[in-house]
Amino acid sequence: MKAGSLRNVGIMAALLIAPVAFALSAGGYEQRIMTLAGIYAIAVLGYQLIFGRLGALSLAQGSFFGIGAYTTGLLGIHLDWAFPASFLASLIIPAAIACIIAIPVLRLESHYFALATLGISQIALLVGVNWTEGTGGANGLYGVPPMRILGTALDSSEAMLVVVWCVLASAVLAFSWLVKGRAAHRLTLLREAPEAAVTAGIDIGARRLSLFVASAAFGGAAGALQAHSIGVVSPAVLEFQVMVSILAMTVIGGRGHPAGAILGAVLLVHLPEWFRFLEAHYLVAYGAALLVAVIVMPEGLAGLFRRWLVTQERWAPEPPRTSKPEAPTTLAVLHLVGLCKRYGGVVALDNVSITVVPGEILGLIGPNGSGKSTLINVASGLQTPDAGEIRLGNLDLTGMPAHGRARAGLSRTFQTPVQALGLSPLESVLAACPAGLDERRAERHAAACLSAAGLTAPAVPTTSLSPAEARRLDLARALASGPAVLLLDEPAAGLTPAERDDLACCLKRLTDSGLGLLLVDHTMDFLLPLADRVICLATGSVVAEGPPSMVARDPAAIAAYFGEPPP
Amino acid sequence: MGASIPQLLVNGVALGAAYALIALGFVLVINAVGAVNFAQGDLVMAGGFVAVTITEYLTPWASDNLPDLAFIGPRASAVGLGLVILPLTMVVMAVLGLLFSALAYAPLRHRPPVSVFISTIAVGLILQHGANAVFGPEPRVGPPLVVDGNFALGPITLSIQQLSVILAAGCLITGTGLLLSRSQLGRQLRAVAQDPEMAEAIGISAGHCIAITFALAVALAGSAGMLLSNQFFVAPSDGGLFMLKAYIAVTLGGWGRLDGAAFAALLIGVFEVMMAAFVSYVMAEALLYAGVLLVLLVRPSGLLRETIQRRT
Repeated sequence: MKAGSLRNVGIMAALLIAPVAFALSAGGYEQRIMTLAGIYAIAVLGYQLIFGRLGALSLAQGSFFGIGAYTTGLLGIHLDWAFPASFLASLIIPAAIACIIAIPVLRLESHYFALATLGISQIALLVGVNWTEGTGGANGLYGVPPMRILGTALDSSEAMLVVVWCVLASAVLAFSWLVKGRAAHRLTLLREAPEAAVTAGIDIGARRLSLFVASAAFGGAAGALQAHSIGVVSPAVLEFQVMVSILAMTVIGGRGHPAGAILGAVLLVHLPEWFRFLEAHYLVAYGAALLVAVIVMPEGLAGLFRRWLVTQERWAPEPPRTSKPEAPTTLAVLHLVGLCKRYGGVVALDNVSITVVPGEILGLIGPNGSGKSTLINVASGLQTPDAGEIRLGNLDLTGMPAHGRARAGLSRTFQTPVQALGLSPLESVLAACPAGLDERRAERHAAACLSAAGLTAPAVPTTSLSPAEARRLDLARALASGPAVLLLDEPAAGLTPAERDDLACCLKRLTDSGLGLLLVDHTMDFLLPLADRVICLATGSVVAEGPPSMVARDPAAIAAYFGEPPP
Repeated sequence: MGASIPQLLVNGVALGAAYALIALGFVLVINAVGAVNFAQGDLVMAGGFVAVTITEYLTPWASDNLPDLAFIGPRASAVGLGLVILPLTMVVMAVLGLLFSALAYAPLRHRPPVSVFISTIAVGLILQHGANAVFGPEPRVGPPLVVDGNFALGPITLSIQQLSVILAAGCLITGTGLLLSRSQLGRQLRAVAQDPEMAEAIGISAGHCIAITFALAVALAGSAGMLLSNQFFVAPSDGGLFMLKAYIAVTLGGWGRLDGAAFAALLIGVFEVMMAAFVSYVMAEALLYAGVLLVLLVRPSGLLRETIQRRT
């Protein structure tokens, strides 16, 4: 175990033990407050997964809490289920509901995702209040039995406190397991640079689903404990107030680190105690605290202790002994056949067919608006063609999502690379490594990709990369998924002549192992000497194709760039 | 149920027209800063309380200083007072809007839109519980726009208040539309909404325009609060539902579209009143949320075409 993670474990252990020890010494009232803090911390941990790590503003976490509470209440009162079974059910039922609502909800853009989850929580509240036979309506359910473990009823406040915080400790472990190692990097890349992430082979749908379902289970667990702890379940557990509390704790505590969940929950559960002089109006202070936190502490309380809390290992790789990537490159021919793409009345691609063979650099030129970037977007799966086929070797990629194409061996870079600033360059490349590689081999592979892309100082923060280095990082990330064919969208834009020469050498070397390159660029003195073949696009069609020297003299290509010569 | 269909329609249109004012303010902020204003509903509630407060000060003054028109009715001196209270409420709310923008938006303008979303949730909490502290949890009745009472149109009895609400909301919606489409200020606001950097480059202060947009949006929310406060009363916990209706209207009407949002809000008002009259209010609410989920299931990018892309 590395020193950083050891310290992390120490801090988390202290954060889990200290509040319990304090409450045990302080007496019954404080024990009940701290029990509530532990319960909320579990729900907040779940919310950190979906909101903090994935960046999706779900407003249904409070409802999962409420559904968990009702599950425990109903099973305990009507069916007399004992603790472990009812608790398990309170995890599974919210998770199952999350699974079902994920179908319409998870593919939505953020503002619709927030509304849809809010709508679902409103429906849950309406059911809770109005389904009198089932949920007890506005009166709720009374007499939820206390927890029984091995036949012993845990009805003292000390026992409840200890059990809740033990569940919290397990939740922290589950949280760490869910986002350990490269999984955490992938989530950061998805959150901060979604297009780069999906074209590096990360399946956004699967990640969202698993984290949404996990967050619901965390919420349900918290609700179940709440039902046992106060013995009553009322529709108040489904009200928006619960969601607001969870959101406030997440934002104030810090949205990414489990320490933030505990700090936020302990602080905000105690807030009403400290603002007791405001009587019932302490919620004004609650709102004000949330406002101040979001303005002055974007990373929350955990962010203040950032230097001690290691969210991800910062580690400088040993220089690779060889620059040979670990993931084997398979050789395959890329066929783009008869691609068409229209935007309303504008024809961006009109029956374009292009083949890239292994080890070849195919240059793609054409004036602005000729369809070069659309071609790369359509080929990499960010846009769907209106007609045509995309094949890599024997594989038909046409209907495949972007991450599937990257895994199949078709990779790309971006004209304006977006970097995940929360990751170091190495972590950013690690995120794109194939899931099949174990940690050790992935690290070697990532270091090899960085050096193959010519990025030599990967331990510096991503924020301090120069534009040229940012492009190198984008290239390294594209190499990490082990492509057979790489699509490069204006990789030389904005580079100095020296940097351009450097890049040309680097690209030439890449083709030695059989990698095929489709290279879009405007800089002719960069592209023409480098390319084996050049294709010129104009208004969505191929107007010239052949060796660089020939295309450079081709009347159609010249006309496309400079307009028709005067008659 | 005593109400006839035409009466229900007038009820529905009056409610929908007020929703449209809320939704317009909601869209204006979305277009200007790309963020959802979660406090919009609480600002409606605040507008209701501002109207209630102004009425408390104005009514004694009016009965002392205005001629007694006893032939109209018992509270005759208050007749038409609402027509003064409405603009006063909007002015107070516009000032609150400037404050709101300075507090909840300006410090976060370089952060992702989700930060603004959260800061507006915080302001909503402050408004809701602040109102609770000042006015108490009990609903309060706001002033009528012109006068209480009904008038008969053949066999149909219509409420004067509701007709005047429809008229006033119609004027405000038209006014907002004209302001944005015809005036130089409106052109500047739209320019900033479309591309703040380009607007700055041609000499428009994006910061000022965004502050003005917030003032306008909050004034519209306030006007809706005043218009609704007479028939539906106003209580501190009212905000959430108003915000939801506006959010739904914007989703159904096409994210970022003013006309779509106003139209969808009108439909929501009519739907709600009709459903509540013939089935139940709970069903009206539940069907509305289920309907939105269904729409998002079938058309993940909203019912009508979005005018802007990639916003939070």
